Amino acid sequence: MMHPVDTILSLVLLSVLFSFGSSRLPGLILVVGFQGIVASIVPFFIGHGMSAGGVIFTFVTLAVRGIIIPMSIYWVIKKVAIRREVEPIIGYHASIFCGLGLIVAATFISRQLNIPTISDYTLLFPAAIALLVSGMFLLMARRNAIAMVLGYIMMENGIYLIGTTFSVRARHIVEFGILLDVLAGVMIMAIILQNIKQTFDDVDTALLRTLKD
Amino acid sequence: MVEIVFLTPFITGIVAFFLPKAMGRQVLVGTGAIHLILSLLLWMNRPEAILNGYFAVTPEGLLSLLVISLLFFLISVYTMGYLKASEIQSENIFIGSMILFLSTMTMVTLSDHIMVFWIAIEATTLASAPLIYTHRSSASLEATWKYVLICSVGIAMALLGSVLITLSLEIGNVDVPLSFSALTQVAAKLDPLWLKAGFVFILVGYGTKMGLAPMHTWLPDAHSEAPSPASALLSGVLLNCAYLGIFKTHKIMYAAGLSDFSGTILVAFGLMSILAAATFILKQNEYKRMLAYSSIENMGIIAFGTGIGGIAVYGAVICMIHHSLIKSSLFLSSGNILLGYGDRMIHRTGDMVSRMPKTFVAFFAGFAGISGFPPFGIFIGELFIIVGAFRTGHYIAAGIFILSLCFIFAGFANQVMKISFDDFKQGDSGKTMGLTEKAGMVWPQYILLLTSLMLCFFIPDTLYQTIVDAVTAIGGGLK
Repeated sequence: MMHPVDTILSLVLLSVLFSFGSSRLPGLILVVGFQGIVASIVPFFIGHGMSAGGVIFTFVTLAVRGIIIPMSIYWVIKKVAIRREVEPIIGYHASIFCGLGLIVAATFISRQLNIPTISDYTLLFPAAIALLVSGMFLLMARRNAIAMVLGYIMMENGIYLIGTTFSVRARHIVEFGILLDVLAGVMIMAIILQNIKQTFDDVDTALLRTLKD
Repeated sequence: MVEIVFLTPFITGIVAFFLPKAMGRQVLVGTGAIHLILSLLLWMNRPEAILNGYFAVTPEGLLSLLVISLLFFLISVYTMGYLKASEIQSENIFIGSMILFLSTMTMVTLSDHIMVFWIAIEATTLASAPLIYTHRSSASLEATWKYVLICSVGIAMALLGSVLITLSLEIGNVDVPLSFSALTQVAAKLDPLWLKAGFVFILVGYGTKMGLAPMHTWLPDAHSEAPSPASALLSGVLLNCAYLGIFKTHKIMYAAGLSDFSGTILVAFGLMSILAAATFILKQNEYKRMLAYSSIENMGIIAFGTGIGGIAVYGAVICMIHHSLIKSSLFLSSGNILLGYGDRMIHRTGDMVSRMPKTFVAFFAGFAGISGFPPFGIFIGELFIIVGAFRTGHYIAAGIFILSLCFIFAGFANQVMKISFDDFKQGDSGKTMGLTEKAGMVWPQYILLLTSLMLCFFIPDTLYQTIVDAVTAIGGGLK
């Protein structure tokens, strides 16, 4: 029988494909928000016996990863009225094809690795790897600075998804610190994005290539 | 007690954001002085942390802490003069960020928990980002963007590496706290496959922040665009903080008997960085970028020495301390040059020897020190590393190492000669000298260089013992 966790994780895998094919920023933000929500509720289903603190922490994570972070990026778009295309370096069709290859590879690799602790959840490791690599893909294959920040957030979600399964040992206070760092990082990136827009009147990173040797 | 050392600057840093201009500068120097005293007390007493398991006083951490503290104090004295001479908008943000940057770096040196260490490193990126954007120009914006994005992505890799180390703990079925010291003790029981994977990711992650090639691309931009006191901090101590993460993980690898694996990778990354620096330094036409590439070179040397093991590790730690002292003095001098000539390009400077004699002495002595001339400490460090490389049979690597150092020296010397002795051609703007060399803007450099000089002839016993304690944990030592 399929575990409920696997059902939502299969949606995450689909969302990776969607993000590769998506040409507009608001769609991409929605996808990242969805992935953030999934990454933060997965610990609920993986039974480690939740304490009250654990439940509160999960909700805080949900609020930050699923709502505050995507909203702050959306707010940047609204505020500076940036052109809403992601300006691909690699085309959408080629990107989707890469995405498919990535999902297959991620599934294959996690079968090979065969980690005992999470062997009950078939899709957990593939989904995490897929998120991680697709975040990096967006960082490299899109010229729009906002799409790059979204790629970074996607990567962080992927790492959180892996981390959450082994983090029984890590105290919530530590995880909270990590969350705070990620949040502050995204906020600072949002401020830089606004300044980039003000200075260059665009967020195309091709404009950011004057410093070189 | 341990926590006070980073909490004090944390609080004063936040306060400094809201202070008027005149008071901010005093707070900066005051915090530097208090921090230096606290660090010295910590060095002498070595107390247990209140949050045991998250923070701890380790020999390698103490070494970095003392360097940070001394450098910050001297740099803050310099900054007083620098801020008077240059026009910086929103000075309170600059000063607040400087102090918060000090706080986060201190936290790095005292962290023991691997996740807390990660949090502290990421916090250093966030605290230093406003420093790079101080001049509010489009170039500095570009540098800040690259710095924040590349470093955040890089450090995310290190987080993944830390998670993988947790996994090796899980698979190895060991139940200990997630601290570097506890992990080192049980290293042999950890799952070797995942430990290796964790090390690779941590090396790539913290290596990005440390400036190892090919992940170094943010470094020259950030160092050249930041105001000189901030560049001095970035180069002198931030890079060491990132190295500390690699050092501590290498320690776990050594205890697990996997130091061959991690050492080889360190040697490879080290050589790559030295080669990359040699390529770019030869045709460099901006002096601050030249210093930045020299930092990449020195980080390469440190990684190389750590990877070789034995006596070379001792050399690497010596190099780390002296690089901090000398490179920060060079960056401070470059601040004087920038204020004096109003330009970052080497061909728009010249004749420094008669125009700015005091800065010239500091800059030229710094150049001699960083190129590995005796009587400065880097000479000893590099000598130990080369001896170590020959002893362990790394003949080819040692050959590449020595050859690259020669190239770097040639490139560096060429540019320094131009700055110092070439005729100064007045630019189109007709700019003349804008700086009288005030004592506060040359003495910090002299003190840094003299400290390096002194440590070459006389190392206090307690310092020597701490270095030896740090390096024996990864198989180093003077034998």
